[in-house]
Amino acid sequence: MAEIGLNDLADLLGYQFFQFALIGGILVAITCSWIGLFLILKKQSMITDGIAHSVFGGIALGLFLGINVLWTSLATALASMTGITYLRKKGMAQSDSAIAVMMALGFSTGLILISLAGGFNVDVFSYLFGSILTISKGEIYSVATVAILAIAYLWTFHRELLSLTFDEEDSRLLGLPVTLLSVSFNILVAVAIVISIKVVGIILVTAFMVLPGLTAIQFNLSFKGTAVTSILIGLVGVISGIFLSALFDVAASGVIVFVMVGIFVTSAIYNKLG
Amino acid sequence: MKGKVDLEGCDEKCDGHQLTSDARHSGKVIEVEGLTVVRSGQTVIQNASFVVHAGDYIGMVGPNGGGKTTILKAVLGVIPFVSGRVRLFGHDLRHFKDWGRIAYLSQNAIAFDEQFPLSVRELVSLGRLTRKRMGRPLGREDRKTVEGTLKYMGISDLAKKRIGQLSGGQKQRVVLAKALVRDPSILILDEPVSGVDSQTQERFYKLLSDLNLERKMTILMVSHDLAAVFCRMSHMICVNRLVRTSPITDHFDPNPILKETYGEHFQFAYHQHQCKGEFKDG
Ligand SMILES: Nc1ncnc2c1ncn2[C@@H]1O[C@H](COP(=O)(O)OP(=O)(O)O)[C@@H](O)[C@H]1O
Ligand SMILES: [Mg+2]
Repeated sequence: MAEIGLNDLADLLGYQFFQFALIGGILVAITCSWIGLFLILKKQSMITDGIAHSVFGGIALGLFLGINVLWTSLATALASMTGITYLRKKGMAQSDSAIAVMMALGFSTGLILISLAGGFNVDVFSYLFGSILTISKGEIYSVATVAILAIAYLWTFHRELLSLTFDEEDSRLLGLPVTLLSVSFNILVAVAIVISIKVVGIILVTAFMVLPGLTAIQFNLSFKGTAVTSILIGLVGVISGIFLSALFDVAASGVIVFVMVGIFVTSAIYNKLG
Repeated sequence: MKGKVDLEGCDEKCDGHQLTSDARHSGKVIEVEGLTVVRSGQTVIQNASFVVHAGDYIGMVGPNGGGKTTILKAVLGVIPFVSGRVRLFGHDLRHFKDWGRIAYLSQNAIAFDEQFPLSVRELVSLGRLTRKRMGRPLGREDRKTVEGTLKYMGISDLAKKRIGQLSGGQKQRVVLAKALVRDPSILILDEPVSGVDSQTQERFYKLLSDLNLERKMTILMVSHDLAAVFCRMSHMICVNRLVRTSPITDHFDPNPILKETYGEHFQFAYHQHQCKGEFKDG
C-alpha cells in the first residue's frame, strides 16, 4: 500500500470531479440522515428498500428510451410510494407485503427492459452500487438542487413533522394539516432515495438512510440532539468514505456504509459498557 | 396549587369574551344533537344528544366498550358519524377552526414509544404548534408558556429528561402539560387516571378541580371511578350505546340512571357525606 500524505488529500481537493463528489455527497447525506431519523421513528425504514429496488425499473426505462435517468427514477419512486401507500390504505396488503409487491414489480420490469436493451453494462452497475466519484457536472446540479429543496423543506417543517411522527391524532387536533404533511413527507422520501442512489447505489440506500439515525437514537439525547448527531454521523460517513475511496481506489459506497456501520457498532458497544 | 401560570390572553378567553355571539348568550361550548356513530357495521352510538356549558365539570361513565372513546372522538371530528350534528363554541364541527381552544388527552396518551428521542420540554412544546404559524419556530411567548406550564405541573426539573425514562405518574403530568400548554377552554380526558397509584390519582383530581374552579376550564373526563365523579363533578354523562345525562346534586339518586347504563343488577352505594371523608379538598 502506498504511503498517503496530507499532500495527496490537498491535491484531491483541487480536482473538480472530487469537489463535485464532496458537495453532492454532503448535501445528500444531510437530507438522508435527517429523513432517515423520521422514517425510523415512524417504523417505516424498510420502505426505502422497496422504493429503491423498484427505482431500478425506472432507471432501466430511462436507459432503454434514452431519457434522462433522473426523471424516470423520480417518476418511478413517486409511483412506487403511491402504490405502497394505496395498497396499505385499501387493506390489500400488509405493510411489508405492500413493499415487497412494489419492489418485485419495479425490479423485474427493470431486468426485462435491460435484457431487451442488450444486457448489462457499466452504467447499470453504477446504479446498483453507486458512483459518486464519477458524478458529472449536469448531475451534480440536479442532485444539489433537489437536495437543497429537501433540506429547506425539512428546516421549515421539522417541528410539524415531529408532531406528526410522535402523535398523528393529536397533530390533527392541533389543527395541523396532517394529510398534506404526510403526502409531502412521502414525496420527500421518494426524492431522497433517488438522489442517494447516485451516492451509494440501490443496494445500500437503506443502510445509508437508516444507520445514522439508528446510531444517534442510542445516545439518549433530546430530539434536537438526536437529529444533529444523526446528520453529523451521515457527514462523517460520506466525507471519510469519499476521501478513502479516492485515495485507495475502492468503491465509495462500500466505504461510506462501512464507516457508518463501524460508528454504529462502536457506539452500541460503548453504550452497553458505559 | 403550585402557583399560577402566566398564560397570555387567558383572561379574555376564560371570561368568554372570545366566544361567538350565539355561544356567549347560551354559554354552550359543546352541543351534540342526534349523533349516531357506526363502526365496522355496528351502531356504537345511537341518537346521542347532550350539551356542555362553559365551566362544567363532567364525568363520562359507562361500561367498557360502551362507546365513550368513540363519542369523544366523533365530537372532535377524528372519527366520522353517520347522522347528527356537533357544534363547538357555536360553530358546526365541519367549519370549526379554533382547535387551540380544545385539548384532548387520549386514553393511550401515556403509552408512547419509550425509545422515542424526545425530552419532556420538547414534548410539551409540541402542544404549542398551530396551523396558522406552521413553519415558524416557537416565539418567546410560547417558550414562556411552556416553562410556566412545566412549573405549574411540577415537572420543571424533568424538562431535560427523555420521555422514556419517566414513571407512570410523571408521564401523566407530562402529557397533561402538553394538553394545557395551548391554554384551552375545554379539557377532554379519556380515562386519565387508569394505571397510576391512588395517591397520584388524588393529586390529579385536585389539579383538575383547581383548573375547573380557578381557571374556569370546562372539563369533560371519562372515568370508571364513580365515587370521584359524584363527589367532585357537576354533571355526568352515561354512555352505553345510548347516552343519558344528569346534573349531580345533593339529593340526587344516581342508581336509576346507572341501572339503565350498566344493567339491572348494578347497585352503587353512595352517600353524599362520604365525599368529605374520602376527598379532602383545598
Ligand atoms: N377501530 C374500531 N373499529 C371498529 N370498532 C371499534 C373500533 N374501536 C372500537 N370499536 C367498537 O366500538 C365500541 C365502543 O368502543 P369504545 O368507544 O372504545 O368504548 P369505551 O371507550 O366506552 O370503552 C366497542 O364495541 C368496540 O368494539
Ligand atoms: Mg375507551
